[in-house]
Amino acid sequence: MPGYAAYLLSRLGQFVLVVFIGMNISFIVTHSTPIDPVEQTIAAATQYGSTNPEAIALMRQSLRELYGLEGGLGAQYVAFWRRIAVGDFGPSLSAFPTPVAVLVGRAIPWTVGLLVVSTVLTWILGNALGGLAGYYRKNRVLRFAGILAMAFHPIPYYIVAFILLITFGYLWPVLPISGGYMMNMERGFNLGFIMSLLEHSILPILSLVLVGLGGWFMGMRSLVSNVVTEDYVTYAELGGVSRRRILVSYVMRNALVPQVTGLAMSLGAIFNGAIITEQVFGYPGIGTLLVSAVHAGDYSLVLGITSVSIVAVSAAVLMIDLLYPLLDPRVRAR
Amino acid sequence: MTAPLLEVSDVVRTYAMGGLLARHRTRAVDGVSFHLDADRPEILAVVGESGSGKTTLARMILNTVTPTAGIIRFQGTDLSRIRRARDRRAFMTHVQPIFQNPFEAFNPLKPVDRYLFVTAQRMAGLKAAEEIRQRADDSLKTVGLSLAEVKGRFPHELSGGQLQRVAIARALIPTPRLLVADEPVSMIDASLRTSIVNLLRRLRDEMGVSIIYITHDLATAYYISDRILIMHRGRVVESGNARAVLDNPQHAYSILLKRSVLSPDAAASGGAVLAAATSRYDQP
Repeated sequence: MPGYAAYLLSRLGQFVLVVFIGMNISFIVTHSTPIDPVEQTIAAATQYGSTNPEAIALMRQSLRELYGLEGGLGAQYVAFWRRIAVGDFGPSLSAFPTPVAVLVGRAIPWTVGLLVVSTVLTWILGNALGGLAGYYRKNRVLRFAGILAMAFHPIPYYIVAFILLITFGYLWPVLPISGGYMMNMERGFNLGFIMSLLEHSILPILSLVLVGLGGWFMGMRSLVSNVVTEDYVTYAELGGVSRRRILVSYVMRNALVPQVTGLAMSLGAIFNGAIITEQVFGYPGIGTLLVSAVHAGDYSLVLGITSVSIVAVSAAVLMIDLLYPLLDPRVRAR
Repeated sequence: MTAPLLEVSDVVRTYAMGGLLARHRTRAVDGVSFHLDADRPEILAVVGESGSGKTTLARMILNTVTPTAGIIRFQGTDLSRIRRARDRRAFMTHVQPIFQNPFEAFNPLKPVDRYLFVTAQRMAGLKAAEEIRQRADDSLKTVGLSLAEVKGRFPHELSGGQLQRVAIARALIPTPRLLVADEPVSMIDASLRTSIVNLLRRLRDEMGVSIIYITHDLATAYYISDRILIMHRGRVVESGNARAVLDNPQHAYSILLKRSVLSPDAAASGGAVLAAATSRYDQP
């Protein structure tokens, strides 16, 4: 269909534009901070004892090269794009000389694993419960579930996380409280490692699910209670279509359309890392990496993480835009 | 003597209102009775303001809302006995609804022709694909459309007037005896109203369908209906031959209703007539 091709092209154009603008902003922000990574490195290197000025000048020269900071702003801008094109963000400052790409690549599986599971789980649970609660308004169990989900929703995340930590780490110490897997354990594809991995992920996932559930729940419940009053649902009820079928293929199906967008947005945002979660549970993901990069003034690492998340969020939105016409015929027509 | 097509006797429906403490019951429909003859198709207009109970009455006739008291019989069968899916479907082949908002009458994620095909299959009991298509096309032709025009279209791709006509076509597929039309023209462009209203009249005359026409619009009610029920706060305050009632209303509320229809004179003198009528009505 030619309509879809035009749609595809315009969405691809938007994607490129958004990424371009986002990258520019991160270039501007990093290049206008007062923190100069080169001077910081030199300061750190010369902290203990004096070095001769020529050596310092030489060091400054090679560091500027490494960070892509030679020449004027224009030259730096060109160098910036050249580096992005090949995925080279230079060496990390705080973990010199490990390249940024390696650090980010090492952290991403942890974050993505943790957040994909918890986001998808929260989404499925929240929508299923919310949908049922919106459809069976008088069911006591569902009402109670709703109150519970909403009670957790406004509690600040870090408080829920700490309560879980205290409960399952100290009062009733059954779960590990920190790290991605047991320390000193050989990483590999074996039962012991996988069990340890799962065990360590329970608390962070639980905390994310508890706090995130209420939002999806309330959203879905109000969407469903709007759809339920529509006449095509009444018509289906009149015609003796079973309540289960009405709930699934009439009510939920229609109410889910906006929720799918929400899911895609939160899946894209995964690449920002769950900063607080990873801090509280000592999880070795992107969030932890980003925080330490900011503390260390590790400019190229910050830039690397930002670039990855700019591309990831826009790619998620692009993907959902491309899939949307399959879900909703109203988008197809445009 | 055959059983009347529809017999509504002393029907009451109450709803609990308010929160936990200040709970009170509202009588949405309060002791309404009327019947429709089986051998003489007619258009019965049910007129009243918002909240007068007309939609609740319609829903009870369609068997989606159960009366708190009283009995509704369709061709002699008590509607409260119809509970199983198969019985409901059988009931639906005789009684079909037409809704107020045509944009809500179809699932936005399904093409509208599927509704017509499924109705032909499930409610008219047709099997062969060609027969189903033919029935859908015939039904659409009755309302001035054709299958070629709506094939594969989604609800958002049709206009409100077209959709409402598709909804009527859908209702006609199982050749029903009774249509319950709840404000079928209130969401439609004024220029298209007459065509829908005329269509309803043609259905009565040519296909022998009885129609319960629910509206707050006295003009169209006067134009097409044979009999009229005027409802106010859940009660029928006046009923009878449509022309007789509307030409010479007796009950204070009917008089008010009639006065609120803007005649060219009244329109010229602004809301004065309406205000006068309202103040008179408020004082017992």
